[in-house]
Amino acid sequence: MFTFDPFALLFLFFLLLGVLPNLFYAYGYLDHIQRKWHFWIHYVAFVLSMGGVVVSYTPLSFLFFWEIMSLSSWQLILTDPKEESTQKAARFYFFMTHFGFVFLLLFFLLVSNGSLTLSFDKLHAIAQNFAYPSLLFFLLILGFLSKAGVVPLHVWLPYAHPAAPSAVSALMSGVMLKIALYGFMRMLLEVLYPWPLEWGILILVLGALSSLIGVLYALAEHDIKALLANHSIENIGIILLGIGMGMIFLALKLPMLATFAFLAALYHIFNHMSFKSLLFLSAGSVLHQTHTKNIERYGGLIKSMPLTAWSFLLAALSISALPPTNGFLSEWMIFQSLLGSSSIANMALKISLPFAVFALALTGGLAIACFVKAFGITFLGLHRSANAKHATEVNAFMRTGMLLMGAVVVGLMLFAPWFLRRFDAALASFGLPSISQKILFSWSIHSLTHNGGVVSPLFLLAMLIFFSAGLVLLAKRLRIRKRIFHTWACGYRTTPRTQYSATGFAGPIRRFFEWLYRPDVHFHKKTLAGHTTKFSTALYDVHIRPLFERSLYDGTKKLLNRLSYFIYRFAHFEQNRYAAIIFNLTLSVLFGYRIVAHQFSWATFALEAIILAFTIKILVIGEKR
Amino acid sequence: MIYTLIHIAVMVILAPLFLSLIKAIKMWLLFKKPLPLLQGYNDLAKLLRKEVIISQEASQITRIAPYLVLAPLLTALLFMPPVTKGEWYIGFVDAFTLTGLLALSTFFLMLIGLDSASAFGGIGSSREAFISALVEPGMILVIFALSLIAKNLGIAEAAIHLNTHFPTHHLASYTFAAIAFFILILAENGRIPIDNPETHLELTMVHEAMVLDLSGWYLALVEAASAIKYMIFATLFVSFFSPFGIGAPFLIALAIYLAKIAFLSLIIALIEVNTAKLRLFKVPNLLGIAIIFAFLSLISYYMLGA
Repeated sequence: MFTFDPFALLFLFFLLLGVLPNLFYAYGYLDHIQRKWHFWIHYVAFVLSMGGVVVSYTPLSFLFFWEIMSLSSWQLILTDPKEESTQKAARFYFFMTHFGFVFLLLFFLLVSNGSLTLSFDKLHAIAQNFAYPSLLFFLLILGFLSKAGVVPLHVWLPYAHPAAPSAVSALMSGVMLKIALYGFMRMLLEVLYPWPLEWGILILVLGALSSLIGVLYALAEHDIKALLANHSIENIGIILLGIGMGMIFLALKLPMLATFAFLAALYHIFNHMSFKSLLFLSAGSVLHQTHTKNIERYGGLIKSMPLTAWSFLLAALSISALPPTNGFLSEWMIFQSLLGSSSIANMALKISLPFAVFALALTGGLAIACFVKAFGITFLGLHRSANAKHATEVNAFMRTGMLLMGAVVVGLMLFAPWFLRRFDAALASFGLPSISQKILFSWSIHSLTHNGGVVSPLFLLAMLIFFSAGLVLLAKRLRIRKRIFHTWACGYRTTPRTQYSATGFAGPIRRFFEWLYRPDVHFHKKTLAGHTTKFSTALYDVHIRPLFERSLYDGTKKLLNRLSYFIYRFAHFEQNRYAAIIFNLTLSVLFGYRIVAHQFSWATFALEAIILAFTIKILVIGEKR
Repeated sequence: MIYTLIHIAVMVILAPLFLSLIKAIKMWLLFKKPLPLLQGYNDLAKLLRKEVIISQEASQITRIAPYLVLAPLLTALLFMPPVTKGEWYIGFVDAFTLTGLLALSTFFLMLIGLDSASAFGGIGSSREAFISALVEPGMILVIFALSLIAKNLGIAEAAIHLNTHFPTHHLASYTFAAIAFFILILAENGRIPIDNPETHLELTMVHEAMVLDLSGWYLALVEAASAIKYMIFATLFVSFFSPFGIGAPFLIALAIYLAKIAFLSLIIALIEVNTAKLRLFKVPNLLGIAIIFAFLSLISYYMLGA
């Protein structure tokens, strides 16, 4: 029923790291929440059910805890259900999570031959004998990755995560998505192995797409929590790049490189939990004080909320993969495993893998731009609204929560080798070779590929501190005089309105990727006395509706609408037309039976098709009135 | 060890010289009276004497970020390839770390731009974010290609390997990588087709706009950082793409190395004189060319080499 193998223990530890700081924060956040009991009951249920998912070892208990996890998080989104948008987000989440659940259920029913109480280690034999293993894999993708928010099943994520209270957003984005990936990895490594090469390539492509699309939509987003939620899509994509590389290497019988890639993915799972939680916690503090999620109404908060600002900066550095933070280390490892593609013999694969490198590098560059925007517009400059003006630092519990999460971020950087050893041991339980002896030497991480490199976080940190301290001492020695005064702004006074806005900051990138964004631009200007260049008020507003939502989801909705309209029309026919439909149905069954039961020939098939088309046209559709 | 320290000291001390050199060559080509080569040092000395004015809208970031703009670049200097073979060097740091350090420096530079609530800073940061986001993939792909050609990702070791085993079999991909890297030098250092380091016109400036509100010591730090950044890129370029002269004794090797950088500066000055600055939305085209050359370099390595 339950297991406590190294992999499960690792994720229990992961849960502990993610939840403990969050508890403090949630306690401090309580005065913002009206239905306190409702919140606590579902919060505890949510945390415990995630633990349950991690340790369960039969499909039944897994699905049970999975469903409790979904339902409790759904209720947590509805903690403050007054707003229309929250209800809509909750409904969307409820639908998407059960959409995934159906496929998960199908998957488990197929791999357990219908007996859901078999333990996981018995499933492998059944899965091996199943005739269509790729079907199982697709069910797995639809089931787990719709929960993890992978393109194109990510559309619910930027709605659902911001709607919840911030502590819960941190849990959902930081922890719950990784629980889905945990399930994915466990099913892959314990049930579905060995897999063909194509599966790995598919995961790699999904990862590359998710990372790029996530970061691009994050850049265009002005709701700070939706921005962070979009970054979750990006980071899940980065993790999938690691998993996909691992799958490719394992399919190509390069187990060492596969372990390295899986290690990188696991490390990024931990890192993303830490910095994304910290980001959501500090964004939540800002939200708590300013009562708005709109990034354009913040500004200058570093002066009134220093701790929040610095913890946001730490997390921003980490998520932008800047050295020597933990986010850099794991992204470095994923780059290294992509570089390992040079030892693949398959030429086509070898030439196409640099595109994944390209995607990851572009993602990194855009993430930096996005977090300069998020940090700069939120915390720097002058306050852009009265809400931001009156913000003060949050209470002690919330501060403790942020500090503890910051400690997790720093700990993941400082003790990287220790964590990597644990990951290695956990993967070794699935029969992957242990490589910690080969990559970890005295606190630095080595690559496995022949053209690889080395990274040493402590050395980088020490050098950065050394040089900064040296320069500060130099400044002291030079007796630099400082004066605080207003600086030149072309003769105008600097006001909040002269600053760059988030919309303006992302402007060049938005314009470059216009083919993807297709923004709705609203530009209202009241001109003065007919001048085109002089105006009293101007409002420039850009709204972006995600492409996938527009095409995939709205398209499906339209198709369903149309279908239901036809069914509606069928239901309102006269009786003689029903008779005609029955006649046609009989005809097509007979023809169909003849085709299946007897020998098939194109000529008779064509003849029958024509007859059917005619009868349908004449009898069922009739003349246009 | 002593040679390494001398090498690093030379790189730090001579960094402003080469920027002045580019400027002097440009002025000479435009029939102006060239500025003295020590102008860079004069500017820095003047900035050090001046009082620092901190904008009253600015926060702690303005007081901290200039240090964090310079410190990563100084750290990166430690990992530069040696000028001579006997020299002790830090061989284990790889090129991804180097790009990370450069990005860290740029990150804080962009924050400075947003800190003082002036519209100019925002312009600069926004444009820099746009350009550096598109530089990143080209950079990483060039590194990937180079790591294959030089059989090593470690910066110093790659340079030494290129010296001992000049890639005669992979000249095509080597050349493509060089072209891509050269475009990236122009982009990362804000040279003319991408940014004009001498302008203070709001339509055109990128780097200058971000540091407009800095003065005195802080401006000196950031100016030194941009000089050192150029030195880093120039050093990387000459030690990867003209890996000769490492075998000579230290002083001669150092002289060859400096001569190569001076030559590179001459080429950059010639390009600057002969081209106009690109419009901001044309910059991605140039960077796209760099990315395509990097891809070509990789593909030709795989197709021809294996």
